Amino acid sequence: MACAGSTEPMLDVALELHPQVALRPEPFGALAYHYGNRRLVFMKHPDVVAVARQLADHPSLSATLQACAIAPERWPSFAKAFESLKSSEIVRER
Amino acid sequence: MDHETVSESTASTLEVVGEASGEADVSGITDTLIDDELLIEEISIDGMCGVY
Repeated sequence: MACAGSTEPMLDVALELHPQVALRPEPFGALAYHYGNRRLVFMKHPDVVAVARQLADHPSLSATLQACAIAPERWPSFAKAFESLKSSEIVRER
Repeated sequence: MDHETVSESTASTLEVVGEASGEADVSGITDTLIDDELLIEEISIDGMCGVY
């Protein structure tokens, strides 16, 4: 597990869902809408939604992934996804 | 008609099919699909009238 964290710096960042973001559950996962910048993002897997909702409860993205029982081999994909969500301001550093 | 012969051949055919199919390991394929799949997709709604 330490290897995944060393190659993906995003995994060590403390994140939270932006307060201006609303998540609408969908069969594929959820729609995330930012009322401030009006960006709309499809979260195409329920695991991404679960992680996003629990970000504020854990000290880092990797801790959140571990709490959500996400397999370590998937962590790089999630790190990239949350990097993109951070760019879209759907999640932010805290 | 020789029903015994037909049923025996059918059974032997089914046995052969069963042995040939085996147990395919799809867990790796599923994990690969999950990893390669886009987890998020940003949609542009610029120009959509009535969207606030």
